[in-house]
Amino acid sequence: MSLSGMRGLSVFISDIRNCQNKEQERLRVDKELANIRTSFKNEKGLSVYKKKKYVWKMLYIYMLGYDVDFGHMETVALISASKYAEKQVGYIVTSCLLNENHDFLRLAINTVRNDIIGRNETYQCLALTLVGNIGGKDFSESLAPDVQKLLLSSSCRPIVRKKAALCLLRLFRKNPDVVNVDGWSDRMSQLLDERELGVLTAVMSLLVALVANNPDGYWNCVPKCVRILERLTRSQDIPQEYTYYGIPSPWLQVKTMRALQYFPTIEDPNTRRALFEVLHRILMGTDVVKNVNKNNAAHAVLFEALSLVMHLDAEKEMMSQCVAILGKFIAVREPNIRYLGLENMTRMLLVTDVQESIKRYQAQIITSLKDPDISIRRRALDLLYGMCDVTNAKDIVEELLQYLTTADFGIREELALKAAILAEKFAPDLLWYVDVILQLIDKAGDFISDDIWYRVVQFVTNNDDLQAYGALKARDYLSKPAVHETMVKVGGYLLGEYSHLLARTPGCSSKEIFAIIHEKFPTVSISTKALLLSSYIKILMHSQPPDPELQEQIWRVFQRFEGNIDAEIQQRAVEYFALSRKGPAMIDIMAEMPKFPERQSALLKKTEDAEADAAELSATRLRVQQQTSNAMVVVSQPFSDGPIHVGPLTRSSSSPQEMNGDLALTVTTMGQGQQSTPQPLAPATGDLLGDLLAIEAPPPASVSSSLLSSEPSSLEGLGDSSALALLDNAPSVQPIGSIKDWFSALCVKDSGVLYEDPYIQIGLKAEWRAHQGRVTLFLGNKHVGALTSVRAIILPPAHLRMQLSTVPDTIPPRAQVQCPLEIINLQASRDLAVLDFSYSHGSAPVNINLRLPVVLNKFLQGTPLAPADFVSQWRALTGPPLKLQEVVRGVKPLPILEMSALFNSMHILVAPGLDPNVNNIVAGAIFASEARKTLCLIRVETDPSDRTQLRLTVASPDAVVSLELKEYIKEQLLDVSTPTPQFVPASTGLTGPAAALAGLL
Amino acid sequence: MIHAVLVLNTQGKPRLIKFYYPVRAEKQQDIIRNVYKVLSSRADHLSNFVEAADIFGSETKLVYKHFATLYFVFVIDNAESELGILDLIQVLVESLDRCFKNVCELDIVFNFNKVHTVLDEIIVGGHVVETSSSEIVKAAEEVFKQESFTDMIAIALKSTGKR
Repeated sequence: MSLSGMRGLSVFISDIRNCQNKEQERLRVDKELANIRTSFKNEKGLSVYKKKKYVWKMLYIYMLGYDVDFGHMETVALISASKYAEKQVGYIVTSCLLNENHDFLRLAINTVRNDIIGRNETYQCLALTLVGNIGGKDFSESLAPDVQKLLLSSSCRPIVRKKAALCLLRLFRKNPDVVNVDGWSDRMSQLLDERELGVLTAVMSLLVALVANNPDGYWNCVPKCVRILERLTRSQDIPQEYTYYGIPSPWLQVKTMRALQYFPTIEDPNTRRALFEVLHRILMGTDVVKNVNKNNAAHAVLFEALSLVMHLDAEKEMMSQCVAILGKFIAVREPNIRYLGLENMTRMLLVTDVQESIKRYQAQIITSLKDPDISIRRRALDLLYGMCDVTNAKDIVEELLQYLTTADFGIREELALKAAILAEKFAPDLLWYVDVILQLIDKAGDFISDDIWYRVVQFVTNNDDLQAYGALKARDYLSKPAVHETMVKVGGYLLGEYSHLLARTPGCSSKEIFAIIHEKFPTVSISTKALLLSSYIKILMHSQPPDPELQEQIWRVFQRFEGNIDAEIQQRAVEYFALSRKGPAMIDIMAEMPKFPERQSALLKKTEDAEADAAELSATRLRVQQQTSNAMVVVSQPFSDGPIHVGPLTRSSSSPQEMNGDLALTVTTMGQGQQSTPQPLAPATGDLLGDLLAIEAPPPASVSSSLLSSEPSSLEGLGDSSALALLDNAPSVQPIGSIKDWFSALCVKDSGVLYEDPYIQIGLKAEWRAHQGRVTLFLGNKHVGALTSVRAIILPPAHLRMQLSTVPDTIPPRAQVQCPLEIINLQASRDLAVLDFSYSHGSAPVNINLRLPVVLNKFLQGTPLAPADFVSQWRALTGPPLKLQEVVRGVKPLPILEMSALFNSMHILVAPGLDPNVNNIVAGAIFASEARKTLCLIRVETDPSDRTQLRLTVASPDAVVSLELKEYIKEQLLDVSTPTPQFVPASTGLTGPAAALAGLL
Repeated sequence: MIHAVLVLNTQGKPRLIKFYYPVRAEKQQDIIRNVYKVLSSRADHLSNFVEAADIFGSETKLVYKHFATLYFVFVIDNAESELGILDLIQVLVESLDRCFKNVCELDIVFNFNKVHTVLDEIIVGGHVVETSSSEIVKAAEEVFKQESFTDMIAIALKSTGKR
């Protein structure tokens, strides 16, 4: 029977193989599916063999890429079959065809559970594998305890236990609550004593998942991991079957070292020493051998060791050893090793002090940029990008530019962007920067986003010594026969503004420049045409003495577009034509663009991350710093308060998009201020800084109409006066983000950002042990200059004793200092400590007051509640002031699970299932003050029909604790965005269901 | 973790697919096509790693090995060691080799169900459960014995003309 049934499968597979084309295959598959569907539907007593055969066929068809949307039920039903063969098919096919989201899977939970708790090992294995592959949340809830029992059982065979380990891992991923740190850190540590390497392999994966979720909870596992590594590297007690090409279980070695990297650091000196001995042995003892597989395995171990050494922040000597090994690797023939060598060297860049030694391999890395393997080329590109600084930017960027012409299409965009970023970040001089960007546009115009060309225009505009050079370069590029449209834009713009500076250069007369630009005119888009019209009128204005022939040519262009269908072009043509007839008066209107306010480059902003740059300054940054132009100072001026208006002559909108490519109009505006209607500008918030670049919007501070009309051409003079006024009334530094959001986030986690502005970032990392806490403040100077007069004062509330270590007066550029803050909790209170922080950048002092997230819940420790204990304690505490109850309205509507998560994040441990009503939460925590520890019990009763209200009861043997904790929880539950009870006059009373519920409670 | 294990032949036909996260059928075919496109464009002496952000999202890689007419491809994220996965592919192939005595593509085509059994002994839910090929084969054979498929293999081999 069985044979013929499965022969049917073989025949079917053969048929499929014999199909000449996809069409035939589809016909055969459709026929088979129809056959299976009818059989499932009609034949009531379908034999299990047939079912089995059909189900395998379905899986085969599914693999071929056909949707199999029926038969799921039959497949799942096979799991419950009594014969092993059917059961096995059911399990395997179910875990391929279905996923955790299928409802059918729930039907199987009971059978699966019976198989797991049954005595049959092979059934146990099948069931554990299924749950390990596709088990969802439902499975977590009903199976976790059984699976844990199997994993911990000493009577189970290893084959069952290792599957139980990975099954538990899956359940934990679906619902982290199934593994409680308190109980499991000891169990994990015991499991790591396991001698059987298969079980150990699976347990190690479980450990990685647990530690990744809670790095502080599993410290006791660290020495065990080190011991496992010692055993493996010394080949102690390693069975033959776990020796892979002569190496004791390389997989487990790698996994164990990976697990250790999830711990923040390893402090215990003995463990650390033992580990470094192991690592040293691996680093020194790995040789290249002939056998590919052996070589592979040995290097897998070696690379993981390198990774771990980097993670552990080893001594300098060991680090340089690592760099030397990697340096050797990036030069070998074996492509895998070369690939990983480059990848790891890139990671190595994050380690301080080794950048210099990595630079020695620059030539070798550049060779890899030409490797035939794109995977390797990408690694090399990443590494070069990472290692670039002022000293080697010229070489690296030029290599990238060279590579650009031959690079694969897929990598070009990234390459162009990286080259542009490096050029800006590390330009040794500005002429070079302009060269690089123009080359980039020339070679890869399609990949140059607008921000890149805006940026180069901005630099040229703001630096007088670049202007003639920029214009000359633009002329050279535009003289080429075929150029990218972006080049026409940037070239047209620069020539419009600055070509007059070239007047004495041969071939650069106004007429010649116009001819060069106008040759490109017919083929470019409307928006570029508009930009070129602006350039033309500027060229016309600058042609001194006036050249009637040029004037005639340009006028012809304007006239031609007077009736253009595009409103923008038409308007420009009409207005420019009219303006250009004004003769010399035009000069005031068409004056040179003022300097742009310096803003953070959108490009750099996008890419800037925590990585610390070398303190050296690039030319672009230096220049930005040195410039004392008015444009620099007005950066932080708030435009929102309204007195400053610009009056656009020609348009009623100043939105960036519409201003795009519309540079000359700004200038016309300024001369004509008195005719204009006031038009408020968008407020210059932090977000505006992030907007592409200054080019789209005019530099508004210089455009105060009254000033302008009296002194229209002297921008420099007026800048100073307006800047002075600004410094007086404007808060000079704005945070990048919301102080409140940062604070709220830190209330429920222990590390993150407390405050950030363009100059400084204050990060925070906290550790709590009962009533004591240690908070480390990380003061990071983001600025290219030093921050001076740094001062931090803690204003503690009465219930906290706080001691801040000395804060240095100065933070060097791009440096970070750490200031530990010791805290002792004396009493329960919701009062907050405040950090009074001030610093100066340049001469501007900044002072900020920040609330510190040393909140009540930091001194709580979740405690598991046994039902009997809870009930007796709960009963013992009766009524106020020890047991407080309140109906809270206006709470954030949260599903019950999320609310449990909120409590858990506050270190208040929810005891699931303790309250029989699923809409209620019961939780417990221990509050620690210096004098005593207090057990607190919390009960929340929610109303499923109205999630915005609930009844909260808090009980503890200490009246103060009860009150403060109740109020604190209430604050956390209330949604600030909806009106809270305070806003509802108590006397008006409530109506509707809310009142009914209140009455019931 | 390991996101997927794919065995494709050098014509791009899937011989075994196993995803460790939910993927719709049509998306699976897309994935197979794209993976094949990438692999078939790579010469043999190149590295065994390809970044696969376009196909599987950021931080993912293909680690693959080319044996005769088959590609064995593992899709991994950065929590796995690339060389470790290469070892694992070797373990999978050696285990299949021991189960089928000199495995070839046809064995895998006609016994794809057995290949699933072997794979389940190596990976559960995207994590490695066993790396010793003798343990893997021992466990798989225990399953086969219970299933008494042995005769069927003989037939399958006969009907395909002894490879």
